[in-house]
Amino acid sequence: MPFFLRRIATLSSSIFAIVTFNFFLFHIIPGDPIRLIARTQRLNTEAIAKLRTSFGLDGSLLSQYFRYLSKLLHGDLGYSFFYKENVSGIVGRALGNTFLLLTASTLIVVTCGIAIGVFAGSRQGKKSDTATVVSSLILWSMPTFWVGMLLVFTFGVWVGGLPISGISTANALYSNWFQYAMDIGQHLILPTVTLAIVDIAFFIIITRTALIEVMSEDYMLTARGKGLSRRTIVWRHGFRNAMLPVLTASALYISALVGGAIQVEVVFSWPGMGLLMYNAVLARDYSVLEASFLLTTVAVLVANFAADMLYRVLDPRVAVSK
Amino acid sequence: MSRKDATLTTHGFKYFLRKLWRDPMGRWGLLILLITSFVAVICPIFFPFDPSKVGVDASSILTGPSQTHWLGSDELGRDVLRQFFSGARISLFVGIMATIISTIVGSGIGVFAGYYMGRLDGFLMRITDFFLVVPALPLMIALGAIFGQNITVIIMVIGFLSWPRTARIVRSQTLSLRQRQFVPRAKSLGSTNLRIIRTHITPHVMPLIVANTILVVAGCILSEATLSFIGLGDPDRISWGTMLHFSFVSGAIGRGAWWYFLPPGFGILFIVLGFTLVGHSFEKITNPRHRGES
Amino acid sequence: MSLLEIRDLHVSYPNRKGEFFAVDGVDLTIEQGEFVGLAGESGCGKTTLALSIPQLLPEHSRIAAGSISFNGVDTTALNEEGLRAIRWKEISVIFQGALNALNPVQTIGSQIQEPIRIHDESVSKKEAQDRTLELLEAVGIPSHRASDFPHQFSGGMRQRVMIAMALSCMPKLVIADEPITALDVMTQAQILDLLRSLCDKYKLSMLLISHDLSVLAQTCDRVAVMYAGKVAEQGPTSRVFGSVGAQHPYTQRLLRAYPNIRHERKFIDGIPGYPPDLSTLQVGCRFADRCDVALSRCATEVPDLIDIGGNQSVACHLVSENQVGVQ
Repeated sequence: MPFFLRRIATLSSSIFAIVTFNFFLFHIIPGDPIRLIARTQRLNTEAIAKLRTSFGLDGSLLSQYFRYLSKLLHGDLGYSFFYKENVSGIVGRALGNTFLLLTASTLIVVTCGIAIGVFAGSRQGKKSDTATVVSSLILWSMPTFWVGMLLVFTFGVWVGGLPISGISTANALYSNWFQYAMDIGQHLILPTVTLAIVDIAFFIIITRTALIEVMSEDYMLTARGKGLSRRTIVWRHGFRNAMLPVLTASALYISALVGGAIQVEVVFSWPGMGLLMYNAVLARDYSVLEASFLLTTVAVLVANFAADMLYRVLDPRVAVSK
Repeated sequence: MSRKDATLTTHGFKYFLRKLWRDPMGRWGLLILLITSFVAVICPIFFPFDPSKVGVDASSILTGPSQTHWLGSDELGRDVLRQFFSGARISLFVGIMATIISTIVGSGIGVFAGYYMGRLDGFLMRITDFFLVVPALPLMIALGAIFGQNITVIIMVIGFLSWPRTARIVRSQTLSLRQRQFVPRAKSLGSTNLRIIRTHITPHVMPLIVANTILVVAGCILSEATLSFIGLGDPDRISWGTMLHFSFVSGAIGRGAWWYFLPPGFGILFIVLGFTLVGHSFEKITNPRHRGES
Repeated sequence: MSLLEIRDLHVSYPNRKGEFFAVDGVDLTIEQGEFVGLAGESGCGKTTLALSIPQLLPEHSRIAAGSISFNGVDTTALNEEGLRAIRWKEISVIFQGALNALNPVQTIGSQIQEPIRIHDESVSKKEAQDRTLELLEAVGIPSHRASDFPHQFSGGMRQRVMIAMALSCMPKLVIADEPITALDVMTQAQILDLLRSLCDKYKLSMLLISHDLSVLAQTCDRVAVMYAGKVAEQGPTSRVFGSVGAQHPYTQRLLRAYPNIRHERKFIDGIPGYPPDLSTLQVGCRFADRCDVALSRCATEVPDLIDIGGNQSVACHLVSENQVGVQ
């Protein structure tokens, strides 16, 4: 499949570009990260030289770059002086937690968002449609972190009832795995809902617009002429066609989702990549910031690649012609 | 050509305002924007905020609404309402400045890629697509952390990362204009490329750029709020996002100090909604294909 | 009883001033097994008339007056469920522009097969599949292409798919709305022959809509010519295009305006002027402005559709005055 190979090549070149970009961003522009550390900790010349080597900052720029690449290929993401630990270990733990959060909220966003979007789009101009559009626009205009703050206030301070911080109850003893999973599940509720609330609005609006466009197509009249029920017309004939532009817009969605996850993790102290980045910013821990930026971006590139592949599966026209 | 374009030059500004006013979405958006710009421009003049005017003792910290502080006080005993007014100004200022950068970069790249086509187009669009898929917030955080907490840095970071969508939209419009009759004709009459772009292309892509720009302002204001909330805001120029950052880290939520974290949040919601409504409404007016939508 | 009897049908669309009538008092009858042609320029109300039979008009349209009696049932009085039972099972439509009328993400086989089991639950999946393949063969498409998608077919082949689809429930009436526009001349002739032979084979009635009278002349038993929402002339093909000839000045001009698709290309003699704007109030004959033999009363009196014998009727003052003279 030559097309698939071509897309793989584009993906690899994008990843390569981001790696290079990342190198220049963190190794050249901020000047000398050693000086930043030296400012906070008294270091002698010998210690600075040692740090320099550990940061890969000795030798020419080109040799630094190649050393950086080879370290990356070996999974070495550097050392954090803040955590006093290898970055790969820190990031590895956070990655799974973020993945859990993203999966949970994406499931809600995609299923509910599509259902509501199709509902509104197939009733274009009616009151229920207008109400959906207006509330979506309002939800979309809210900063994600603020929605999280409101929920923390509501469920942590005002009404109570749901855990508002962390991934599990501190110092809890679990008698079995099920209890542990339940505890995590409870902690997952508010972050997931926060993330879903804002992003669902995006999905509803995109789905609705796409469906309205599709509803005016000639083949929808054909479907009506066949004597199909309204539901069959919308779901069997409209839905799959409407999903194509929705998938095209998924690049924006994935980017928004990652941005939202960072904010949600900060508000709910969810120990994922976003919280890691936040703490790294506060502590000016560049090695962690760099690694989390790199991994997030690569993950988004891969997710976009997957969405592109899904598009090929759904649209027979592209699959053959390209 | 048969297609009728609504260009800014043929209809003028008043025409679009009238059209916006006739659409319920546009009317609400305009009203919201009118109120927020009043708050942002006029209110700080009469109720200036002095960040150094902190409370005298612990009893003046995070107090609820009262005669002296209509919207209570913050964690340093400063007046929240005055802070809210000046925060409106900063949020709006950063949003608009970043949008100007984004629009200039985006429409510039879009027009040149669409007009010259070929290899320049391919090159510019690869860059655009790259920035389109790279998640904006992590990149903004990385750049913000590296270049420091400064209002200019925030404006530049947001502005230079918000242009790809504009570039894509403007490019496709320019491409379709390029195919029309008047470009080859103008060329045969000896017009230079730059002149054709200025006189034939720009007036026609302008409504599209304006509609898109209004929506970009909404996005930029949200980006600023988020960056400031993460802790990358300019500590000397407190925006609504910075207010929310300080209310969060000072534990205003836990102490139930709703007067501290509700107003800036509603402010952002209000202003972003205003721009979004006007943007969508404007898009409907200039793009007849979407006219059926409510 | 005729299969279809449309009486005094008025269909309106809203506009700025209120509404305008795209179909303005039309009578049309189709007998069992009859092949009827409907002609007229674009915008004359042909498609609105046709789509009002199975009630497929856009939501904002309104049937203001008149009745559509199909097989003894008035379709204007049916609710959505009653209409769904009739659509495709009794009345199917071959839509204009097959590329857009076929769903791009479904195989043509599944699109042909879809209505069969919806309208008759006793048909097994296997039987429905077999019938689909049979239909494909009948319209000249090899059955192995059932799993292909619409974009993999040429324009003519797609139109064949549409025809197979229209026949999938063996309806009593097939409405073909401009089935051959946008096809090349050779393909047009093939598709017309196919339509005619299938109708004869399965004893279907057909309403064929075209702006091209010569197309109708070759295939139809009877033709009706519409102008600005009204029927200008109608009668048996053998009379209108044969012994008696077209009587209405508009029909005569239309005949001269199009080249014959099977014979040599004639010089195209267009009709000067444009059809009237239906949204403004009309007095008199609607063709009067463009008519070169108009009488003075044409500007003020609306001509009635007068039977001139032999099942042919014409709505023209000039013709009716001559009729009076003959009698």
